[in-house]
Amino acid sequence: MIANILTNRIVNDIAGGTAQGVIIGLVALCLVLVWRATRVLNFAQGPMAMFVTYIGMTQMDHHANFWVAAAISVAVGFIFSALTEIVIVKPLYHKAEINPIVVMVGMFTLLEAVASAVWTNIPRYPTAPFSSINFQSEGNPTGLSPLSTFQIGAALAIMTLVAILFNYTSLGLKLRASALAPEVSKLLGIRVGRLLTLGWGIAGAVGAVAGVVISLNPGGLAPNMLDAMFILGFIAAAIGGLDSPLGALVSGIVIGVVMQLINDYWNSNYADMVAVVLLVVVLMLRPQGIFTKNSTRRV
Amino acid sequence: MISISHLSVAYGAIVALDDVSIEAPTGAITAVLGANGAGKTTLLRTISGLVKPRSGSITANGHALIGERPDTIARLGIAHVPEGRGVIAEFTVEENLRLGALGAKTNVTAGLEEQYTLFPVLKERRKQYAAQLSGGERQMLALGRAMIANPQILLLDEPSLGLAPLVTQDIMNTIKTLCANSGLTVILVEQNAKSALKISDYAAVLHVGKSIAVRPAAEVAADESLRSYYLGMAE
Amino acid sequence: MSGTFKRLAWVLGGLVAAIAVASIQSGTDAANLTKAGAYCIALVGLSFLTGWSGQISIGNSGFMLVGGYSAAFWTLHHPGEPVAISMIVAIAVSAFVGLIIGMPATRLRGPYLAGMTLAFAVALPYVPQSFAVSTLGGSQGLTITPLSAPQWFFNLFDTNNTLPVVINSRFTAMVSVVIAALVLWLMSNLFTSKTGRAMRLVRDNDVAAELVGLHLGRTRAQAFVLTAALSGLAGALLVMVSGTASPSTYEFGFTFSIALLTLMVLGGIGSLSGAIIAALLGVYSLQITTWITDHTGLGPDSWVSAKLPNLAPNMENILFGILLIVTMIFAPRGIVGLATGLRQKLISVTRR
Repeated sequence: MIANILTNRIVNDIAGGTAQGVIIGLVALCLVLVWRATRVLNFAQGPMAMFVTYIGMTQMDHHANFWVAAAISVAVGFIFSALTEIVIVKPLYHKAEINPIVVMVGMFTLLEAVASAVWTNIPRYPTAPFSSINFQSEGNPTGLSPLSTFQIGAALAIMTLVAILFNYTSLGLKLRASALAPEVSKLLGIRVGRLLTLGWGIAGAVGAVAGVVISLNPGGLAPNMLDAMFILGFIAAAIGGLDSPLGALVSGIVIGVVMQLINDYWNSNYADMVAVVLLVVVLMLRPQGIFTKNSTRRV
Repeated sequence: MISISHLSVAYGAIVALDDVSIEAPTGAITAVLGANGAGKTTLLRTISGLVKPRSGSITANGHALIGERPDTIARLGIAHVPEGRGVIAEFTVEENLRLGALGAKTNVTAGLEEQYTLFPVLKERRKQYAAQLSGGERQMLALGRAMIANPQILLLDEPSLGLAPLVTQDIMNTIKTLCANSGLTVILVEQNAKSALKISDYAAVLHVGKSIAVRPAAEVAADESLRSYYLGMAE
Repeated sequence: MSGTFKRLAWVLGGLVAAIAVASIQSGTDAANLTKAGAYCIALVGLSFLTGWSGQISIGNSGFMLVGGYSAAFWTLHHPGEPVAISMIVAIAVSAFVGLIIGMPATRLRGPYLAGMTLAFAVALPYVPQSFAVSTLGGSQGLTITPLSAPQWFFNLFDTNNTLPVVINSRFTAMVSVVIAALVLWLMSNLFTSKTGRAMRLVRDNDVAAELVGLHLGRTRAQAFVLTAALSGLAGALLVMVSGTASPSTYEFGFTFSIALLTLMVLGGIGSLSGAIIAALLGVYSLQITTWITDHTGLGPDSWVSAKLPNLAPNMENILFGILLIVTMIFAPRGIVGLATGLRQKLISVTRR
């Protein structure tokens, strides 16, 4: 009975879809973090994560093990994202809202080109410490492998950490205050500029985790590896509401599962389109996303 | 003691403050009165570093404030309760208070306890979101959040705004008590001149960006000729 | 600019363009000019949307795809009919798609809109590959007879000294430049019209716009329809000249949307002359990049390239990425803005 459930086609699709969905949710979470902190939609989120993933994971060529390489990616991800905020985003606060969009698009182009110049377009396949062969149940494959279980676990762990940081620590309180009400926070003596930089840094580190986890997928590590994931992450963030971390996670998982089902039962080409159609429909009905409260901000 | 001298502020071509000089003595409440657009809010925003002046100087307890960042000024012991109170609606009462202590780097637990004794209503509602509070409660929260930083100077921007007369009276009395108990220097910007003058020691009148008088509050209250300035043209 | 001066500028510009096209000797230059015409139309469309109604789109390559496919489809099924009809069909279809995309767009602010249009541009190339493969040609796309020069055009030139291919390219370049000029002229009139002023008001102050009775959503949707129509025309033009519309056409992929955005910013957002400069920049970007790398010691023979053999093919995007960031931070009005600034400085110097 249990074996039947574990190897059922739909259950398998849901499990596999969840594995991809949490990663989409992770990318969406980065976008939400940056958006909430600085009202900038980071169009270079994908390439930034890709870039630092390369920096870390290529250390495996120099005999670093997977965990060390991943840690380097995350640390560099933090620093790189924080520096980006200081150097090219800070000058654009209080400017027309298209200016930061355009600058981050420039960053997108630049980073993908540099990555391709340095590491070429040929994908690399970092050796994962987990097998990608699905668990078996009475001789039939289930929807999960040790690798995908690790991917889900890593993504959920990071999300939990971020949630704890933001909701239950003093630093988190200051980070949220700086994002919600920068002027009032300044008047209370909070170093808002520094906290916004920190917010970008955290988003960069989370992005690096996403990058590392995605580089273990069959597509491997390539300069454009996060393009599709960024689009899906954006769709998830927009559907959930750019202000809602929980919305990002939930809609990420929903999108992952829906796409997996479409892949399996219909045609893989349709999956992306269905995601876009979903986005258009949701935005038509609720332009602020599903999970954003319709409350008045700032009193 | 906070002293403002020859302060001029302009937004582009519009002059908001023109050669304003005001002194607010230590341990006293100095009211700044004036009609809408007289530059009262600008004055407070310049003191706390949110607005850069064109010229002039501001010193508070021996520190020159001009050119410092708002958060630095706040950590010098100058608390600014902005117009509309600046309570963060998405935060609970307690989170708002904690934020005040975190910004000023004062002891959170002790501070919370102190403010809860001062404002028992805040203790009752500490888990509620600030958005759910009434206007008077919000003003108390804003005061508590400012006081948790143990400031020496308190800048208040229109605390009576949108409050019923009785609540206003209540808030004004609280301010008076705070000042008397802790030797706090207060600059109280108000459009509601009557309530403000009742609790103030000194009063200054701003009229279209110029300061007209800094005199004991009772004198200002008695001076018929000043009344038209701070009551506006209609009266 | 006064009316007379403006008209004179148009006539002069047209003359220069005509002489340039007629005297082109290399087929490559003619082909580039053809492309530049199409790019210019697409850029005017985007520049209008961003500069005049304050909206942003990273999805105009999608509208170009719609226009390109519509033109190819119509031409395939109505052989022998005038090219102009195919173009009009392309404009109409892409305008309609623009309306559909523009409807949610009217309620979205900057980042949501940018992301949604980007998602549209990414997903669209999958449509002909997945749906109606027999009618839309799947991943092969549609192939039509490319536009060729009529006999009278050949008669104009000395066919003994010039290859027919070059004359043919001259013709397509001429067609492309004429259409681009027409679009520029129409748009410059629109900019000064009532609709143009309404759009500017919507961009600068949506509250004020509503107060004077403008329908915000409608104005924004109109801008979207127009940008889609122009992008569609550009896409159709490219297809009519090249003879193919396929999902892998460079101009139909989302990277071209990003390139369009880059070029528009570099030229100057909302400026017509900026669009012309940007179009030429886009077409000749590879040559410009090569020239820059050769003169800065970063060329294929340099030590950097010896270490990074893959640098040369990526140099173009590296430069454009940097340029885009630097322009937006230091000169948000682009090349045209810089030129205007310089001119005003010169005027003030000479008057002193």
